[in-house]
Amino acid sequence: MDKRRQVVGKLKFTSRLALVILLVVILFGLGADLFAFHSPQLPSGPALEGPSRVHWLGTDDLGIDLWAQICQGARISILVGFGVAVLAGIGGGLIGMLAGYYGGCIDRLVMRTIDLMLVLPDLLLMIVLGAFFGPSISNIIIVLSLLSWAAPARIVRSRLISLKQEQRVTAAYSYGAGFWHLTRYHFLPELLPLLMVSNIKLVGKTIVAEASLSFLGLGDPTAKSWGIILNHAINFSGIYFTPYWRWWVLSPLVALTVLIAAIAVLSRDIEKIINTKI
Amino acid sequence: MSQGLSRKIIEYALTFLVIVSMNFFLPRLMPGDPFTFLSTEEGSITIIYTKEQIDRYKAYYGLDQPLLRQYVTYLARLGRGDLGYSIYFNETVGRIILNRIPWTLTISIIALVLGGLGGTLLGSLSAWRRNESMDQGLYLIMIVCSEIPTFLVGVFLLFFVAARLRWFPLAGGITPFANFKTGFARFNDLAAHAFLPIMTLSVTRLADFYLLARNTIINVLTKDFMRTAQAKGLRKRRLLFRHALKNALAPVVTRAFLSLSTVFNGAILVENVFNYPGVGRLLREAVIVRDYPLIQGVFLFMTVTVLIMNLLAEVVYKQLDPRVN
Repeated sequence: MDKRRQVVGKLKFTSRLALVILLVVILFGLGADLFAFHSPQLPSGPALEGPSRVHWLGTDDLGIDLWAQICQGARISILVGFGVAVLAGIGGGLIGMLAGYYGGCIDRLVMRTIDLMLVLPDLLLMIVLGAFFGPSISNIIIVLSLLSWAAPARIVRSRLISLKQEQRVTAAYSYGAGFWHLTRYHFLPELLPLLMVSNIKLVGKTIVAEASLSFLGLGDPTAKSWGIILNHAINFSGIYFTPYWRWWVLSPLVALTVLIAAIAVLSRDIEKIINTKI
Repeated sequence: MSQGLSRKIIEYALTFLVIVSMNFFLPRLMPGDPFTFLSTEEGSITIIYTKEQIDRYKAYYGLDQPLLRQYVTYLARLGRGDLGYSIYFNETVGRIILNRIPWTLTISIIALVLGGLGGTLLGSLSAWRRNESMDQGLYLIMIVCSEIPTFLVGVFLLFFVAARLRWFPLAGGITPFANFKTGFARFNDLAAHAFLPIMTLSVTRLADFYLLARNTIINVLTKDFMRTAQAKGLRKRRLLFRHALKNALAPVVTRAFLSLSTVFNGAILVENVFNYPGVGRLLREAVIVRDYPLIQGVFLFMTVTVLIMNLLAEVVYKQLDPRVN
């Protein structure tokens, strides 16, 4: 807890702002029903109405409140982003630890797979897998986790290999400490900060990936994510030549840009702070 | 060196086999019966076939044979360059993809070159003036640019440059039904259509190369030979371009090859934003009409191209940096 406070204390002004933005988005996402007074699924006013006191961000072509949709979209972005970060972090971390700890044949196999995963275009794989297995939100989270465990696994593996050579670890090993004991008392405290940094980046990448997929109209059609709102708006014929884009296109666009920029700035800064400690 | 290279090639061949096998098993792992999928549209009335008819069709598609034999047949057909037949477009998958490849490759390569050169140049300037306000501002902008999804940049340009200012056409790769009098007019039209997609793709590339070049050159600038060069009283320009940039070139050039997979990701999005007739839009069309052989064909084309470029990257890196061996 103390360490975390130290990290926050060292943040630059821009990163503090980014942290606040991230927290606000999480708050709005989780409390979507509290902060939005209209349904994100049902029409609640005239179609294509501009921002007003009733509809803060206006309405779309079906008269559905955009502010409610943006809040709902924040929830989906947060769900996908953090869901994948947790799954891929745990999975990738475990695989990296096993590969680094046991070495040999397992290690070589894992490294080859990691190389393959890092090479493939992830959006392409997502589209193809989505086409074959159906693009529901849970499928998207699973597919994205399968695609993104490689980066944390590689980081954890290389750190673990150097940790294994430290004297306190070899000493513990010579006293008969097993894998789990070493993990609990020697590896995890060192590896967790590393994993955290790589996973903040992962959150950003994942949110972009989900938004891209639903922007193409190939995501989960029932989940109102920011990408889907944009997709609907862009496909509305003549949107370029009407004033509707001012609220309908701009609001998801700005929301996505701000969130991603915040995560990018924050992760760069945290990375710098934690890297200097190693 | 040659031993290392042949080992690399074997590794890549294995990777290739994994991808091909994935391509083979994907439709077979799909939930549901392939036969129902082939014979009925989703949402329409399911036509009931007799056992004999089902068997006949299964034999026709070769689905009654053991999995291993299907796999071998598949590999043999792939070896002959036969990617299957697209029911929707009524043409062989290979030919459809071949028609679309030039569009995608043109915008990808031009964007890569533009972004690579511009990013490296800006990055070296930024590294040279490190911690000055220009560097700090540029750095923050580029961090954000490198993370912003390509399609957002695309939508932004589409709205403000194409729709509001009307400087460029809104969509497509060439004006439909146009009769160009000269080759130059045709080229002009093609360039006008390709301009915005290329710009969109370049922005993320630019930021990526900027960050890489800045980091590498800051690293090079701390080296002893730089201090020697400075002590010799060389001009700033010579210092930066001959001494620093040349030594930072290896990672930058390698990145150019390696970033093809990111460029393809971007191209899928950009082509759909601008309705550009490349492979990326083809992929989306194929998914929407559920043309599975076509999806697999595009998948195979993109992954194999990326793999080849990665192999090239490793070869080039060894040539540029003799220390790696």
